[in-house]
Amino acid sequence: MRDVIVIGAGGGGPVVAKELAARGLDVLILEAGPRHADPDRDWTHYENDANNPLTGFLRFGPAGREAPAWYRETPQNSFIWQLSGVGGTTQHYFGNCPRAYPGVFQGYDGADRDAYDTDHLFPFGYEELAPYFEWVEATLPVQTAAMGTKEQVFFRGCEGIGLPVQTTKTTTEDSFRPQQNAILQPGGFAGKVTGRDDPRLRYPQATGCTFCGYCMQGCSKPAGAPRNLAAKRSTDNSYVPMALTAPSWAAGGRAAELIADAVVTRIHTTERGGETVADGVTWRVGATGETHREDARVVVLAAGCTESPRLWLNSRLPNPNDWVGRGYTDHFFDWVIGLFDEDTGSTRGAASAARAEFPGRGGMENVGLTPGLQQFAAVFSDSGIRGHYANGRGQEGPWDGAAGRMIGPELKDALMNGVDRLLNILVITDDDVEAQNRVTLSALPADEHGPVPKVAFHQRKRSARTLRNREFVSARAAETLRAAGARKVVRVDWPPLLLHVQSSMRMGASDADSVLDANAEARWVKRLFIADNSALANSLGGPNPTLTSQALATRTAEKIFQTYFGGDPWVHAEAPVVSTDARVTAALT
Amino acid sequence: MSVPSRDLGRRAFLARMGVLGAAAAVPALVAPSATATPSALSPLVGLLRPVLAELSRDTLRGLVVMVCPGPDAYSRAQGTPRAEAGALEARGDDFMIAALDGFVPFPDQLATPLAAALATAVDDIGLPLPTGLLAPLFPPVWTLDRVLLELLENDEALPLSLVVALLLNVVATQVNPLALTGPFLAPFARLSLEQKCRAFELLEGPDAELVALLDAGLPEPLRSSISGLLTFLAGALLEFSAFGSYNEWGVYDASARTVTERPVGWQLSGYQPDGVVDGWADFIGYYQDRTEVQA
Repeated sequence: MRDVIVIGAGGGGPVVAKELAARGLDVLILEAGPRHADPDRDWTHYENDANNPLTGFLRFGPAGREAPAWYRETPQNSFIWQLSGVGGTTQHYFGNCPRAYPGVFQGYDGADRDAYDTDHLFPFGYEELAPYFEWVEATLPVQTAAMGTKEQVFFRGCEGIGLPVQTTKTTTEDSFRPQQNAILQPGGFAGKVTGRDDPRLRYPQATGCTFCGYCMQGCSKPAGAPRNLAAKRSTDNSYVPMALTAPSWAAGGRAAELIADAVVTRIHTTERGGETVADGVTWRVGATGETHREDARVVVLAAGCTESPRLWLNSRLPNPNDWVGRGYTDHFFDWVIGLFDEDTGSTRGAASAARAEFPGRGGMENVGLTPGLQQFAAVFSDSGIRGHYANGRGQEGPWDGAAGRMIGPELKDALMNGVDRLLNILVITDDDVEAQNRVTLSALPADEHGPVPKVAFHQRKRSARTLRNREFVSARAAETLRAAGARKVVRVDWPPLLLHVQSSMRMGASDADSVLDANAEARWVKRLFIADNSALANSLGGPNPTLTSQALATRTAEKIFQTYFGGDPWVHAEAPVVSTDARVTAALT
Repeated sequence: MSVPSRDLGRRAFLARMGVLGAAAAVPALVAPSATATPSALSPLVGLLRPVLAELSRDTLRGLVVMVCPGPDAYSRAQGTPRAEAGALEARGDDFMIAALDGFVPFPDQLATPLAAALATAVDDIGLPLPTGLLAPLFPPVWTLDRVLLELLENDEALPLSLVVALLLNVVATQVNPLALTGPFLAPFARLSLEQKCRAFELLEGPDAELVALLDAGLPEPLRSSISGLLTFLAGALLEFSAFGSYNEWGVYDASARTVTERPVGWQLSGYQPDGVVDGWADFIGYYQDRTEVQA
């Protein structure tokens, strides 16, 4: 019997595990995918080796890389870009940590209060979550991003369209700024030396971000750095090491146990005092096919926005209002590419270190990609092929020609202009929670873990506000690129790219359209909490979700400790330990 | 020689998928042997398999040059020849075959009925084919037809590249019936870039007749899945071709965990001229010298 079993070692689960391990609870973390304990051995800096969604070391599939990836049904043009493995999707994330906009919380009374998804607010105020933002920001830690060439180009564009600079963590108006990101600022020779196998670029002569440009391929820089001092604070570099070393940095802490290659196939429940109560899980070992069952006082589901509803449904847990899997938000991304006649440094430095905010509408950020991914992004479209067919769309605006994918000579010439003479802007839409965008179980054949999820997005039938917001931000992105000096601007009109995922098991004020109560406990299954992005009430207004999800998971850990272990909350009373702390380093090495 | 109408229909369809043309080089496969028994078919299945593999490769070559044309015959055929290296030099065709056949977690339970639907459908979709074009070219095709069905129904792991190739070729002949003949094995590879785009328009639309054709072969409850599947597939084929034609896969040595030469995509784009780095000297400073902000 464990105190707590956490299902999933992605962006959220390790946060609960670390916090509760620090309180001395017996925590087991089960991760379906691999654990890359030795990146120098497991990883390279090649984009196909890393990011191929079928074969890459950062993919969504079993730990054994020779086995096929996991199939998920997507009955539309779309791409689910989630990762299995310790660290989950934070392994390839860009580390960006903006706070959710205040307007998506209950009680917000700003002049723009009607501009948000007001039907699906968080069931508490922004001020309630603020201390948890601060706690996570201090733990990761979150810092102001260093500036490279592509940030300079982006800022020039933002200045050019007249946006003011934001100098606070809380967003209150249309503005631009360096990212607040979970990437350690460069120190020593980091960012000052170009090279390979140069001793100056090894830890400790270099600390923090070396501007290597491989965020998407997983971060282990500077070379030779202890795991908890790698520049990018994906949970495999931050929260997981802390959870595993809790006794060394927390008085009374107890080391969490982590088992990878362990796919949870069922959450068990029992009836107790007239209530349905979670009391354990069954998991399957990928390498052997053996199954194990273990009981726990509390179960924390953190398998992600697609897998959490799948596991819920496969466990035949209650779903009386039919909202399990519904309300899936994805920031309905779009992609705008600017071609320049000058160096933009697109492939150098953190993949995205600058952003702009449009509260009530969304936001945007610059993104640099490697050549194959760059072309993937340029071809990923719901608007057909530019100059040939529009697939019923092909919007026109301040970009060149109709929106759509480039093909043939145009596509090739765009890259031959120079991968470091282009700048991408990711359009991040403040999108509405809608019942129609959802996870169900697929009718296609089950895999060894049960029926697989089917993820349906009706991108052309999104709410009017969502569609309007996307057009607004896409136009700002194109104008920004022009103001920065782009010679040609292409809007791709992406179909759903499920990368920022939120709210498919949402918390909410109303029991008519939410799965979780305000404590992130399941409404119909006691002692079952959800601590991944699916617990978020909405799409946060557009800010990248990881920080808010981690802040909420910290709050959830406190609720678990108070409700079921008779403990006191700590975030208001204590100071957090930073994940780069020397005691963590010493315990790892 | 008179040709029964059903035979003509089947022949037309085999031709549209590219199978008939590809098999023409193997006389036993296209011999008029309507009485062939199942046991007599088995060795022929073994003959057909490599023929279909070549057809798949030829079709996928026509696909990958869409996203990265180069100095090759396929790029010339689509009307966009280029002097510098392209998808074929990057081994984009090998990338697609390896990915489709080895790693796409696409359920056989879906792939096999899809292929069977393609293979068993009569030529009643889309444009009527000019039968006059066919009759003088090929002998009766009973044998080939039966061998193909035998293969599709009994192969345990049907190559997904073949399903994709059959689909692209059927749509290619819908766009341009004249693509039935010409250079290459695959009708799709004979199209101009504009016509290939038109083929993708039909897939992505998706074209109602195409959906009806494929739906008919699927068991319930999968029937309604086909339209979404086609739009997904159309996008994924182009996206994955682009990823594979511009990344390092073609020159990557997995055992040494390094590239053996500079990848085509790097040459074309100027990506990291001196190869993999541990860092770049690109740290300019902090915007307005602000290294931290308050809440």
